[in-house]
Amino acid sequence: MIKCVIWDIDNTLLAGVYLESGPQLPPPDPAILDVARELGGRGIIHALASRNPPEAAGYVSRVTGITFAAAECGWGPKSEAVQRIIGELGLAPDAVAFVDDDLLERAEVSFALPEVLVLSPEDACEAAGWPQFSPAVITAEAGRRGEMYAERRRRQEEARAFGGSRDDFLRYCQTRVVIEAAGAADVPRLHELSVRTHQFNSAGAQISRQALAALIGSAEHLVMTVRLADRFGDDGMVGGCVIEAGQSGWSIALLMMSCRAMGRGVIDALLAWICQAAGRAGAQAVRVPCLVTPRGVPLRIALASAGFRAGAGTVTGPADAAEADAAEAEAADGREVKAGRRTAVFGRQLAGPLPALPGWATAPEYP
Amino acid sequence: VTSDARPSVADELRQILADVTGNPEVLGISPETALFGAGVGLGSLSGTLLLRRVRLRFGVDVAGEDLNLDSLATLQTLAAFIDQRAPGQRCQADMSPG
Repeated sequence: MIKCVIWDIDNTLLAGVYLESGPQLPPPDPAILDVARELGGRGIIHALASRNPPEAAGYVSRVTGITFAAAECGWGPKSEAVQRIIGELGLAPDAVAFVDDDLLERAEVSFALPEVLVLSPEDACEAAGWPQFSPAVITAEAGRRGEMYAERRRRQEEARAFGGSRDDFLRYCQTRVVIEAAGAADVPRLHELSVRTHQFNSAGAQISRQALAALIGSAEHLVMTVRLADRFGDDGMVGGCVIEAGQSGWSIALLMMSCRAMGRGVIDALLAWICQAAGRAGAQAVRVPCLVTPRGVPLRIALASAGFRAGAGTVTGPADAAEADAAEAEAADGREVKAGRRTAVFGRQLAGPLPALPGWATAPEYP
Repeated sequence: VTSDARPSVADELRQILADVTGNPEVLGISPETALFGAGVGLGSLSGTLLLRRVRLRFGVDVAGEDLNLDSLATLQTLAAFIDQRAPGQRCQADMSPG
C-alpha cells in the first residue's frame, strides 16, 4: 500500500512552470489537485520534490491547500531528493509513489529506487482506482494498469540485481517482441498510441482512425504493430509504424512507441525488422523523417544505433510556437532551444550488414 | 597530463556507463569499445541517461551539437568530443562542491 505520494511541481501539481511564468504564477492543475485531495482523504500523505527554489513549496501549499509532510526543493538528482524524504518520514520505499511529468526524472528515480512506484501525471490521475492506493475500489481496467506497474517494479528490482548486459537481461526475462501487419481491430490502439506518444513519435504527429483504416487498406503502405511481453507480464501493443513502401526505398511516415516499453529492446527490434524487410523487398534505402526536439533524443539514439544518419533533406522550418513551447518546457535545465520546427531525414542504405533482429523477436518474413 | 590524481574523462565515462547500463563489466572497457551493439549495449533509455549525465557533469550538450550522434561510436570518440568542448567547464565543475 502507498502511504506517501511525492509530487513534482512544474507541469505536475502546477499547470505550468513556476520559474518561467512571469508575474502571474501558474495555478494548480485541476485534475491532479482532485486526485491529491482524494488520496489525502484516504489518509495518504503528500511530499514535494522539485527543481525549484524553496519558496516554490510555500506557494504550492498555499494555492493547493495541501499540507506537505516534507519538501525537497533544489537542483540535485530527484532520486536523492526522494531518498531524503523517505528517510525523513521513516517510510519503506515500496510505500512511496513519485509523480513527475518528465520522462527522464521518472527514469532516474526508477533506476535508483526500483521499489518506488513511479508515475506520470496521466497515470496518477487514474491511480486512485488502483489497488496500491485503495484495496477496496478497483475497476478491471485500472486494476490491470496497476498490475503493470507492479510487474515493472519486479522487473526493475531484478534488473538492478542482474549486473549483466541488457541483451542478457532481456533474454533472462523471456522478452517477446511480436511485429505483425495491422488489421482493422488494431486501429483504436494505434490511434491512441499516436496521441499518447511524445518521446517516441518520429513525425511528432497524431493520426486519425479514418486515416489509419485507409492506410491499412492501401497497397502502397504497410502498417505494422508491435506487441511486448515477458515473464513478468503482458504489455500488449506498445508500438507501431506506417511505412510508404516505394520501389526504390521505404519511407517511415510514422514510427511510434510507448515510453513504458523504453529500455526493453522494442524500438531496436522494430528498426532491425524494417531494414531487413525493406532489403528483402528490393528497396535500396530506408528513410525516417523526424521532428528534431529535445524530447526526441531517445529515438535519435535508437536510429544512430541502427546505422541511420541525417541526410541532405534536413531543414529548419518556420517557427511553430506550440512546438517551441513544448521543447522549452522539456529543456528545463536552461539549455538553448532554437525556436522553429526543425526536421531531419535520417536514412541508411541497405547494402552491407544490417542490424540483426534479436532472437526473442518474431516478425513476418515479409508481410 | 595533470599533476593531481583527477580521473580522465574516459574513466569518468566508464563509471557513468556502468551506472546507466547497470552493468559493472563496463568499468573495464577499452577506449575502442563500441557503445552500441555488442560492446556496451547502449540503448535509447541508457543512452538518454548517459547524455544527461554528460551534460550535468561536463556542460556539453552532445545531442544538441551532434545531430547524428557519431560521437557515441566508441568510448574514445565520446571522450574526445567532450574534451574538445569542455576544458573550461570541466575545471569549474571540479572546483564546485558536491
